[in-house]
Amino acid sequence: MSARAVALVGGVTTPFGVRPTTWAEMAQEIGAALFRAVPALRTEDVDSLFVGAAEPERFAFQSHVAPLVAEQMGLRPRRILQRTELACASGQSAIRSAYAAIAAGLSDVAVAVGVEKMNLPSMAEANTSMVCVMDRPWDGPGGATAPPFFAMVAQRHMREYGTTEEQLAAVSEKNHRFANANPHAQFHAKSFRREKLRGLPLVAPPLRLGDCSSMTDGAAAVVLVAEDRARAYTDTPAWIRGTGQYSDFHNLAHAGELSRWPGLTAAAGEAFRSAGVGPPDIDFAELHDCFSISEIVEYEAIGFCAPGEGGRFVEDGRSDLGGDVVVNPRGGLLGCGHPLGATGIAQAVEVHDQFARRVPAARQVPNPEWALVHNLSGSANVHSVMIYQGGRAA
Amino acid sequence: MSASEKAHRANGADAEASGSAGEPAAKPTGERPPEKRPFLLDFFPLEGEEATRLSRFYERLREGRLSTTRCRADGELHWPPRVACPRCHGEDLEWLDLPESGRIYAFSAVLGGAPLGMESDVPYAVGLIDLDGVPLRLFGRIEGRPWSALAIGDPVAVEPYDVGDGRVFYRFRALDA
Repeated sequence: MSARAVALVGGVTTPFGVRPTTWAEMAQEIGAALFRAVPALRTEDVDSLFVGAAEPERFAFQSHVAPLVAEQMGLRPRRILQRTELACASGQSAIRSAYAAIAAGLSDVAVAVGVEKMNLPSMAEANTSMVCVMDRPWDGPGGATAPPFFAMVAQRHMREYGTTEEQLAAVSEKNHRFANANPHAQFHAKSFRREKLRGLPLVAPPLRLGDCSSMTDGAAAVVLVAEDRARAYTDTPAWIRGTGQYSDFHNLAHAGELSRWPGLTAAAGEAFRSAGVGPPDIDFAELHDCFSISEIVEYEAIGFCAPGEGGRFVEDGRSDLGGDVVVNPRGGLLGCGHPLGATGIAQAVEVHDQFARRVPAARQVPNPEWALVHNLSGSANVHSVMIYQGGRAA
Repeated sequence: MSASEKAHRANGADAEASGSAGEPAAKPTGERPPEKRPFLLDFFPLEGEEATRLSRFYERLREGRLSTTRCRADGELHWPPRVACPRCHGEDLEWLDLPESGRIYAFSAVLGGAPLGMESDVPYAVGLIDLDGVPLRLFGRIEGRPWSALAIGDPVAVEPYDVGDGRVFYRFRALDA
């Protein structure tokens, strides 16, 4: 597929949550954590840095963040330094850019890092920033935050396929259970049984508080290297085998029928084709569960189940340990929180840690070989998909 | 008959050209009171001809007409209105009035977590509205009835309104079925 194979050889996240720390301090924190997590990595090895950050101008009043992050992390990139902005998928966008640079021979060792600080003194200000992800002068005056959009997705999915609130709660319950085995999750050590989730207040009907991911502060980083460098850093590389991305609209007027996401089907199809595998080969998947309904629509769009069967798929345990494919063993966005630019990186950290058998037993996927990662952005109008293989030579 | 032809027939041709170079200047919008909040914290766009080539959209809205652009070269009907056609990339566009009614395709409501300037509106209903007779589905606020009394398929009217500082926008008002 590419001139050179590319391996993800390590990564780490900060704790996710409401953090009493600044944007730049989290960049320092993740730098320190990364060099501890990948002991063979030296600062001078890193020739390129890609920074996934969705809205630092809004949340931290800071532009030109790529050199800021380089300085905070103690790096001096000499080949490629850039920020990648793709709203909620800014993190995977950084990884994709690093992957492309290494595959093309323009970089040998690159760091992809995501940083987001979303909790502000005024929650209304943070909500205002989230509206700017939409087509602001047209969708903004209507108050188009994310919850009502995904609520309409849920409403149409319920109407067309009979999906139930109980099935939405099943997604949230599963992902919160995994988050309880992830000490960096925002909602670590908190009980979210289905009955409790069903009793939480409505945020945007039919979605309740437990159906929505939260405003989160956090950072994550991974190291990607050319195939000949992989063994210098790890015995358990995660090889990038396929990618796909699709964007079919932006203004909400063009969101189509809502209940199906053909853009994700296209992105996943391209990723599967380039990797030479299909949905049944995937052992675990990090799916973008910004809302509980999202994960259900994603099962269907990716092809883990047929259209309309996503609600039953989760209810029957087929996306849990012991099922067809383990979805969101990290805890998902619902359990871990969703620091926009850091989310896509944290998903990839989980892939590496699963392949390395380095996660707590309660969320370890048995003998994983193939992993799929999906990071969406905006009103599910951009879908970014990557497929990784573990446990093999280049 | 193509969708855009249907739109043409439904609404009647309107030969007025969109804001392309060489067109006579649109009427000035007049003095405005100061805007309520800084530009970067305000969802409502700057609407005057000094700020946007689509100022005609807002002028027509002020007259009670929701309108959009259509490409004279390939007939493509746009939403939102544009200055260049996304299909053929032609820049010769015309303005077209849109239907004043539609039906709810999907809806929800914001019960918490509102942005600046909308906190006192909570709870507010929003929806995607299929306009009658044209292949356009528009997002916007739905007024006139609490969200819990709305249903998919309910009829709504397009409602231009004064934002309160000299600017205008559009929303929808639920009608009796």
